[in-house]
Amino acid sequence: MIKKCVILSALLLWLILPGFAQTDYSNHAGLSQRVNNLARANPQLVKVKSLTKTMGGKDVWLLTIGTGDVANKPAIAVVGGVEGSHLLGSELAIAFAENLMKNAGTDSIKNVLASTTFYILPNVNPDASEQYFSRLKYERSGNARPTDDDRDGRMNEDGFEDLNGDGLITWVRIEDPTGKYKIHPDDPRIMVLADVAKGEKGTHIVISEGIDNDKDGVWNEDGEGGVSFNKNMTYNYPAFTPGAGEHAVSELETRAALDFLFEEGWNITTVMTFGPTNNLSEPVKFNPQAVARRILSGYLEFDAKVNAMVSDRYNKITGTKEAPKTTPGGGDFSQWVYFHYGRNSFSTPGWWVPKMKLPADSTKNLKERNPTDDNTETNYLRWAESKGLNNVFVPWTSINHPDFPGKKAEAGGIVPFVQLNPPISMVADIAKKHTDFIIDLAKMQPQIEIIDLKTEKLTGGLTRITAKVYNKGALATHSKLGERSKWMKRVKVTLNTTGNQTIISGRKIELFPTVNAGEVLELSWIVKGSGRASIEVGAPHTGFRKAEVNL
Amino acid sequence: MFIHMKKLILTYIATALIVFTAVAQNADQVFKAAGTPVNPKVPISWNRYYDYAGVTEICKKLAAAHPNLIKLQSLGKSFLGKEIWLLTVTDFTKGKHNEKPAMYIDGNIHSNEIQGTEFSLYTAWYLAETFADTEFIRELLADKTFYIAPTINPDARDFYMKEPNNPNTPRSGMIPFDNDRDNVVDEDGINDLDGNGHITFMRRKNPNGRWIEDPEFPERMIPAPAGVNGQYDMLGFEGLDADGDGFVNEDGVGFYDPNRDWGWNWQPDHIQGGAHKYPFSIPENRAVADFVLAHPNIAGAQSYHNSGGMILRGPGAEEDLGTYNAQDVQIYDAIGRKGEELIPGYRYLVVYKDLYSVFGGELDWFYGSRGIYTFTNELFTSYLYYNRNLTGQEGQREAYRFNKDLIFGDAFVPWKEFNHPQFGLIEIGGFKKNFGRATPGFLLESEGHRNMAFTIFHAYHTPKLEVFEIKEKDLGGGIKEVTVIIANTRLMPTHSSQDLKYKIERPNLISIEGANVVAGMLVQNADLGLITEQKTEPNVLRVDNIPGMGTVTVRWIVSGNSNYTIKVDSRKGGVVSRRK
Repeated sequence: MIKKCVILSALLLWLILPGFAQTDYSNHAGLSQRVNNLARANPQLVKVKSLTKTMGGKDVWLLTIGTGDVANKPAIAVVGGVEGSHLLGSELAIAFAENLMKNAGTDSIKNVLASTTFYILPNVNPDASEQYFSRLKYERSGNARPTDDDRDGRMNEDGFEDLNGDGLITWVRIEDPTGKYKIHPDDPRIMVLADVAKGEKGTHIVISEGIDNDKDGVWNEDGEGGVSFNKNMTYNYPAFTPGAGEHAVSELETRAALDFLFEEGWNITTVMTFGPTNNLSEPVKFNPQAVARRILSGYLEFDAKVNAMVSDRYNKITGTKEAPKTTPGGGDFSQWVYFHYGRNSFSTPGWWVPKMKLPADSTKNLKERNPTDDNTETNYLRWAESKGLNNVFVPWTSINHPDFPGKKAEAGGIVPFVQLNPPISMVADIAKKHTDFIIDLAKMQPQIEIIDLKTEKLTGGLTRITAKVYNKGALATHSKLGERSKWMKRVKVTLNTTGNQTIISGRKIELFPTVNAGEVLELSWIVKGSGRASIEVGAPHTGFRKAEVNL
Repeated sequence: MFIHMKKLILTYIATALIVFTAVAQNADQVFKAAGTPVNPKVPISWNRYYDYAGVTEICKKLAAAHPNLIKLQSLGKSFLGKEIWLLTVTDFTKGKHNEKPAMYIDGNIHSNEIQGTEFSLYTAWYLAETFADTEFIRELLADKTFYIAPTINPDARDFYMKEPNNPNTPRSGMIPFDNDRDNVVDEDGINDLDGNGHITFMRRKNPNGRWIEDPEFPERMIPAPAGVNGQYDMLGFEGLDADGDGFVNEDGVGFYDPNRDWGWNWQPDHIQGGAHKYPFSIPENRAVADFVLAHPNIAGAQSYHNSGGMILRGPGAEEDLGTYNAQDVQIYDAIGRKGEELIPGYRYLVVYKDLYSVFGGELDWFYGSRGIYTFTNELFTSYLYYNRNLTGQEGQREAYRFNKDLIFGDAFVPWKEFNHPQFGLIEIGGFKKNFGRATPGFLLESEGHRNMAFTIFHAYHTPKLEVFEIKEKDLGGGIKEVTVIIANTRLMPTHSSQDLKYKIERPNLISIEGANVVAGMLVQNADLGLITEQKTEPNVLRVDNIPGMGTVTVRWIVSGNSNYTIKVDSRKGGVVSRRK
């Protein structure tokens, strides 16, 4: 109740004082407010639309930000909330929109909006993220669809239970010589797997907090929380795994998001995802074997180079470092963007727990003296301590666990969400850096121009027209893979004739698969006749350019 | 006078036909041909094709005439808003349709591959109209359910029939798409230059051309042999370049391939040409998939295509080779080989190696994602022209010979001059759109019947479960051991290997009701005492699979002496029970 009041008053303050510091991440109602406030405050620049309502009844918002013909200029889509427990992703997406609008009056942003459209989907899985704001908090990825996660013919029959009554789902450890876990030697709060290969013995069973409701020997394997957005995409789709759905793109929100991207997002060149995958701190590497088969499992060489160039910009602009390596899971969104949507795909979690040095050990040589710990949990607790964060760990306390009668059972562990989402007070700075990065990315977009237009009179009323199409942007008009996709238009060059003009040489319409960064296409026609003609060049995602010719 | 008389008689016969096709024939006037309903409640001509309205009317008449055997529903709407009809055929007086093993059949997913629709309708019609006279069919419909969707591409079926097309078009559905990526949609579609509704070929006289007329069938064009001067250029299908981009008819209605849209190992268009946005992004397929997901009793399926005379099974893609394991292949083989016998001229083949390696096909989703044994029959084969397979030039002349001698030239549009805006003086001619893939009229009922017989064999071998034996043994102290044998008397197991591997459907539930259960157990081998106890919910034993042509044994220890009922509840094996 108190918490609700705090959120509510935070919302009210947000309405009154746009600069007011947030006290927590935004729940669905809060995000909806922020989305609609942006549109109200910037009616000329921001359009809001709900792409669908989820099974849980929540709108999936789309903000379109731009000026003029927003559908016919290069666009960047910014997507948050692909992973429901990663509230920061959503926050960074909406904060980008807010930051952009805060400076909408400056020449710099005006120029960006003249040449780029932004489509912002701040939260594509609102059913899942709402669990953070619920009475019972646990890291949830699945939407509101009831699913039979363990495929036993029963729906949602074995969810979590809050055994210690603290409103958080953490862990239960049970003293048991057959257990596979032991207490971490340096930090007794943390449980680690005993390494049997080193002769270690387990002392505890560790399970997530709850009981085995269906008595199948597995704890909390089929609770509330249905299909995960980030497992429901078509690339590398993990069929028959919990959270993946019965088939790819089975959900209201996944379909709505993809329908938008395919059918209205013809002008999108690039998708920026705030989610678990990070291909910005360290770019993907080209692997010739991965592109040798008909199902690609790696980036084409050209696209890997683009990724490396953008990654370099990201590291410079955000100043972030030491990001843990991420391995995208099957069915994830950011990989889908590249492999199946054919667009440039950039993704970052936006924040990660910095690597903390272990206390110096003077008995070791210099190289070994300040090692880091590869246990992410002890590392997290050290970092939290260094920042003076409280309430990030639930101390182990005894409980009675009905599945382990007569055994010593304790509930406790690191609080859910905190390892993925920094304290809200840190977010404004993270958002600012990522806003700067996306604006930089916008400036890299392909920009085509018609240059060096010339006419030469030949004998007999013939005129030779020559011109060049030049891409002065830092990115090609198409990713190399996008060149193959029927979901990206080709660069079309049309010579529009009038009156008695006939084309003697050259094509009336010609389609080009791509115009690389800095590339020049040479065009040439011979036309019989006189009067006005025009050359038109472009595609929705490059914008269209037109040049008049007098014959 | 004579001519006048003939006309009169013809008019008289035509009038009589109009009157009598609407109602059943007078029983005194007909004599039964073996194997065909002699006086059906719904008379239907099986030597022609039906458009969407015709299909709709047949569906409604069948459901109205056979209320205890056929129910009609819509699976949803097509892109253009047509209902996607589904006929449920079973003996509704004996059990619920969704508690019997079911066979799903659809036709016409490729819009120009039309006869699957008539074969589907024939199946529903035949089952209902022979029900009264044929004991086998009565038993079949007591045990099984048929879910029949005659056309799952109704929009483009009508487009194929009513608008100009060639035998291969449109294949797609009607969702507009910019095929050539020039930012204009459907701007350069088919042109019926001679206005006859059929898209045939264009040829142009050219002493330097490389084509000549076949001496035996002059309407047939063949490449000029080496060293021989040609007479013609071949300019492709009838059409023109509407948008001036140098390509003829490169962006017509569609294009996507509805059979690259299914959610098993789905791949995008740049890997698997024809795929749309994502699995089931085509509304007609989505309606089917949602229905199948909601009907786990479907154990067998058939998706009719044309052509080539093939009984196809997966894997569609070579990459899925491991999905189809040996036990399941045995079942496929047994059914597929029977099909070769039932339908002369058809061959039982595997898509990826005998046809082409392809992702996102319907049969792979049915099997890979739902564990359903599924075939695709490629209907019609040139074998059926003369019940022989000739090869080479002689093989290619069969269609021309058949057209001349058996259907008297009806299938061919003779070459005729035409002044083409881009190619100048040309000639247009060739086979009509209803020839080559679609079965000619007089062969249609025969081929439909044989294909139906194949689906009935397929349906027959979905699991049939029975509580075969209940044995009791007194253990003393008021306790007894009840041992029950459940038999499956057909080829298919209750769970295909794919189903077991991924737990697609829950296990079979074998329960004892009305007894006081002390313990329950699965008996792997009663003789050697190999037994596994099920500690939780012992009165409802969860049995992963009941093999085809096999049994499982379960056992309970019960106290007291009450009567009880043994019930088997299987997703694909139906629900059966026996009281003791």
